[in-house]
Amino acid sequence: MNARCIPLEHLSRRALLKGSLAAAGGGTVLNLGDLFSSAARAEAVRQQQKRCILIWLNGGASQFETFDMKVGRPTGGPFREISTNVAGTRICELMPCMAQQMDKITVIRSMRTSQIDHPQGIHLMHTGYAQAANVRFPELGAVIAKYCGTPGAALPNFIKISSNGDAGSGFLGPQYQPFALGHDGSLPPFARGSLPPEQEARRNALRSFLEDQYAIREQAETSKMHREAYASARRLQSALDTFKIDEQWKKYGERYGDSGFGRNCLLARQLVEAGVPFVEVGHSGYDTHADNFTGHKGLVPPMDQAWAALLTDLHERGLLASTLVVWMGEIGRTPQINNRAGRDHYVRAWSTALAGCGLKGGLVYGETDVDGKDVKSNQVTEGDFFATIYRALGIDPKTEHLAGSRPIPIAPFGSKVVDELLA
Amino acid sequence: MAKWRLALVSACVLACSGPVAGSRSSSASAADELRGAIDAEIRQVWSREKIALPAPADDSTFLRRVSLDLTGIIPTADEAKAFLDDADPHKRAKLIDRLLASPRYAIHQADVWDLVFFGRNPPGEDSNKREGFDRWLQQAFEQNLPYDALARAMLKAEGNSAEQGAPLYLLQYDRHPEDAAVAVSATFLGVQLQCARCHDHPYEPWKQNDFYGLAAFFARLVRVKAGQADKLDKVFVAEMNTGEVKFTGKASEAKAGKEGVPVKPKFLAGAVLEEPDLAAEFKDEKRPKEGEPPRPPKFSRKDKLAEWITTDNRLFARAAVNRVWSQYLGRGLVHPVDNMSESNPPSHPALLDRLASEFVSHHYDLKWLIRELVSSDTYQLTMAGATTEAQPRWFQRARVRPLSAEELLESWRRAAGYDAWAAASGKKIEGGRFHGVTWDYVRNFFGEPNNGVGDFQGGLQEQLYLDNGELNRLMVQDKGSFLESLTKADEPLDARIERLFLATLSRRPSTEERSRFAEQLTVKDPQKLPEAVREAVWTLLTCSEFRFNH
Repeated sequence: MNARCIPLEHLSRRALLKGSLAAAGGGTVLNLGDLFSSAARAEAVRQQQKRCILIWLNGGASQFETFDMKVGRPTGGPFREISTNVAGTRICELMPCMAQQMDKITVIRSMRTSQIDHPQGIHLMHTGYAQAANVRFPELGAVIAKYCGTPGAALPNFIKISSNGDAGSGFLGPQYQPFALGHDGSLPPFARGSLPPEQEARRNALRSFLEDQYAIREQAETSKMHREAYASARRLQSALDTFKIDEQWKKYGERYGDSGFGRNCLLARQLVEAGVPFVEVGHSGYDTHADNFTGHKGLVPPMDQAWAALLTDLHERGLLASTLVVWMGEIGRTPQINNRAGRDHYVRAWSTALAGCGLKGGLVYGETDVDGKDVKSNQVTEGDFFATIYRALGIDPKTEHLAGSRPIPIAPFGSKVVDELLA
Repeated sequence: MAKWRLALVSACVLACSGPVAGSRSSSASAADELRGAIDAEIRQVWSREKIALPAPADDSTFLRRVSLDLTGIIPTADEAKAFLDDADPHKRAKLIDRLLASPRYAIHQADVWDLVFFGRNPPGEDSNKREGFDRWLQQAFEQNLPYDALARAMLKAEGNSAEQGAPLYLLQYDRHPEDAAVAVSATFLGVQLQCARCHDHPYEPWKQNDFYGLAAFFARLVRVKAGQADKLDKVFVAEMNTGEVKFTGKASEAKAGKEGVPVKPKFLAGAVLEEPDLAAEFKDEKRPKEGEPPRPPKFSRKDKLAEWITTDNRLFARAAVNRVWSQYLGRGLVHPVDNMSESNPPSHPALLDRLASEFVSHHYDLKWLIRELVSSDTYQLTMAGATTEAQPRWFQRARVRPLSAEELLESWRRAAGYDAWAAASGKKIEGGRFHGVTWDYVRNFFGEPNNGVGDFQGGLQEQLYLDNGELNRLMVQDKGSFLESLTKADEPLDARIERLFLATLSRRPSTEERSRFAEQLTVKDPQKLPEAVREAVWTLLTCSEFRFNH
């Protein structure tokens, strides 16, 4: 329940209001929603054509069974370390494919976040903010849709596949609401029209006639937006084939591995390639309070293969330089192994990873102590993590939006970009 | 059509501050009424801003606007026809009276205020079952409970959430006194306090002490569940005799584990609450027992706050009239409505003062206030004009607002003839008030169509629902249905088209529309007529003119 705001920004907003009101004799109406994000700035970001894929490990993957092993320690668990294609960097044996992609990714071993339970953690790691009673924060995907998306594109700007989190576009509004595909990548309800084309064309002609008549009488922005949404829904119909991957699967299925998650990763690549700025792909089951090791033995290898395939695929297509791949869950797992061979929730010291989009590859940032109980150096908070993601995508993390009358920066106030990660 | 004062006055008259004598549709003398004062103040500003005199709304626009605003549903085709053909010069005033007396008035007001008090995604584990609260709210509007009494009931929270209803409001903020302070000050006082949670407000008078002083009134509240009524949990707001809010200083200097000092309850911009001292040997019970209605405390902070907020409180009356004004005129005189502050002055200060003082002298009578607002010429302006803002700052054109999810669904059902068909079929309708389609979809896709600062934003999901969703279910084409009647050649095609427009847009079609729709409904193969009719009805249910109240 953090309600934060910034004195400096209040003042600048007040000055702005005063200034413009004085200048225009009170006749100007400001579009406060865009006050801190000028159209020019958004356009500049858009032109860089940056993209983001979020691999979401729902339930919270164990850092000990992935990137931050404590072999031989009481907290270490049974798996071995393997070497990678980056000298000196060793990761869990459950990730042999990623071991060969380590030069492309940056691992952060020093995450410290604030929300230890699932719903709160899912909200936190999707928005950068703890839940608050009075503000509906937008998810990462909504912010990226707004700044990296192409207005008028046929495909939605924010797509989730088999994923979690229900903050959605929050106060950014329905234009940036996620287009959420099913677990198997299937389209959401009502996405596909069922009318025969000639009927659809006929009713569209009639509706367009009505809208044109009405637009002569009433010129409010609202109706324009309504018409634009109608146009975007019709454009989507022409692009629905982008959601089919059967042909591609024949060719790439082996690389991604025979798993639902693999298919969804391939779909994400196809969507990003078609210009979608943000796709989230979820992989569930990591909440291993019992049998953590069996659990991770089942979960991690298919994820490892699909993730590595995604990076390879993006790289081969020249997309990795402009596509940020984020790998995280909502929490990490405890150093202590409980009496059911499980690991519980832990946010004092855990791991995430980033790749592509101008980030340094082959880097491990931050470290935990010998048992993985605490961050030893270079702590990264959720705010720092989000700020770094936004900076990598060319979006100023201090960009603000108004929720009601309250200005809210996209990364929480006080967050620091981890410059060391950026090439 | 009613004779219009606004359209008749000349520009020089605009300069005068007093109301212009004229023939308004209502019988009473305008000068004595609030509506006259509203129009005079609004006109004065137009004159200052050099805004040309806008035209009044035509009868059909007014009919649809006021029907939606007062009853949350469009009129039926018959009602529309009767109103348009009525030659009575007082028909608008009579319509307003009829709508305000309709049972739908309370139903709609309950929808509107439920959203004010809870929003679409309220916090709190009890908030998703609001039947008890909504029933209470609806009864309050049926009885025209004064607004101060309404607010007092919610803030005093006597009784339980199922039978009395009102306590549900504070239960949203169970164990979060700081959130209660933010919400109560914004909702009832129009004051944004959340900045003062972490630091003294940089340019408003609010100090962190004001914030924690207000939160202290809620610090002793405890949620107690005791039994069930009507399948709803009876949840009480108990108040302990002890318990304080602790203040730890500026958030930026906060240290984990710092204990903080207890803060005394303090009225906003006012005095510290005087509390009787508890006896030295007094020990509070640990926590009220679950399953038993709680005992009242020896001294209630919450009741003191409820009295202070709702009794002779200038902020309270101003926040209320500003909010109600925005509900009918689109934007607050202070906008956004919950940010009344020195740095965000009213667009029409004298008008806000007048509204507030008359609201108090009329004993916080909401129905009276609403009648005055919708009877004003300002409310009854055209929606046409060059301004592209949905909510014009100087009220020089009617505002354009999206229909709420509730208004949309019930209006679709009425327009498509679904309600009439269902009533005639004698079938038992399952699913309560929001039957016919899947209410969860409608609420999710149409519930919050705005961008965070209250401006409409159309989304893809909403449009996909309109295009490919469940409207087909409402467009029944059985024998005796509205859609079927549109296929019957025993009525001239033009007359059928007119009925179609009256049923959906509450107006008669223009010449162009008549011929375009005749083209649509003239099909070579009679087998194809039902589908042509369905397309025609669909366009009218989904077009901008239907989507908005204008």
